[in-house]
Amino acid sequence: MALDSQIRINLDRSVVLLVDDNPQALEALTAMFRGFGVRKQFKCGSGAEAMHVVKTQELDLIVIDSAMPDMDGYDFVQWLRREAPDAAKFTPVIMLTGHAARTVVEKSRDSGANFVVSKPFTPEVLLQRVFWVAKDERQVVVAEAYVGPDRRFKNLGPPLGVKGRRKDDLSTHVGAAKDPNLDQSDIDMLMRPAKVQL
Amino acid sequence: MSDPEFVKVKYRLTEQVARPGGMTAGLASERAQRELAAHAGDAMKSLGGMIGRLEVMCKERTASLDSVYEEGSTILDIAGLFNKRVLCDACYSLCELVDRQRTQKRAEWTSIGVHVSALRLLWTKDGQDPATLKSVVDGLWTITDRLNP
Repeated sequence: MALDSQIRINLDRSVVLLVDDNPQALEALTAMFRGFGVRKQFKCGSGAEAMHVVKTQELDLIVIDSAMPDMDGYDFVQWLRREAPDAAKFTPVIMLTGHAARTVVEKSRDSGANFVVSKPFTPEVLLQRVFWVAKDERQVVVAEAYVGPDRRFKNLGPPLGVKGRRKDDLSTHVGAAKDPNLDQSDIDMLMRPAKVQL
Repeated sequence: MSDPEFVKVKYRLTEQVARPGGMTAGLASERAQRELAAHAGDAMKSLGGMIGRLEVMCKERTASLDSVYEEGSTILDIAGLFNKRVLCDACYSLCELVDRQRTQKRAEWTSIGVHVSALRLLWTKDGQDPATLKSVVDGLWTITDRLNP
């Protein structure tokens, strides 16, 4: 679904961290975010540099390339979600990916990024993902094997016969009625306004 | 194993994007496109250099599959930011091919060479005659798909 081109978006006070080991790619990303109206950007060429920025700055969004030597984007997000200072732990992350090698497919799934954008993409697509992140209402799951936004975009409840793990989990299965159906007069009684003594 | 915990998080970004002012998404995309266009020439030049390095690797046939993969992946990274779709598709096929060869621990330079020649062609013809260029990419995928994932 394309982003409505008339929708207003204000990023001039947002602080964005851009991470890519390739200087040319980093410049291109910087140019895109400048175009989006972001005034404050931090640029890092490695995961280690990015870790330092996370520890010392207040960030609103992190955009990181998945493939980097030493510490790749997935490892960085895992560190962020688990070991970064509390205030920064759940900073939204957009991960940019090229080719997903077999060895990193699971790592990508479990990294905890808010959205993954695969290349090639246009500035419009990237802006749309920024907008999605801003509107992202998914809860963050903190579990042993995964820390990050709930990967289920639609909560359809636990499978039939399985107890939900959330307090508000309801199964979509309604089941057969146990009580006889109400007749119309019972329903009318339920709807009829009644005088109450306050 | 402890139970997973669900945390409701409020992003600062949510409030920021909704603040008065800013610009329309259309204008923001247009501005970003313009800013990006200023870097496109340099990017194409360095993509040419990277394809050149792949050509050397194919000629010498001594490089590791990891190095070929890394070079291909970098081309994909740069071309992807400039929305060079056909070049990206070809490069994706190369990366996939090399990844499959890595899995099977078997370097097959002929098929890599065909990919690299195609990359050079697509780079030279940047954006011209999309239908023909797409058929080139389809041909590359036929080669890649001969190897089981």
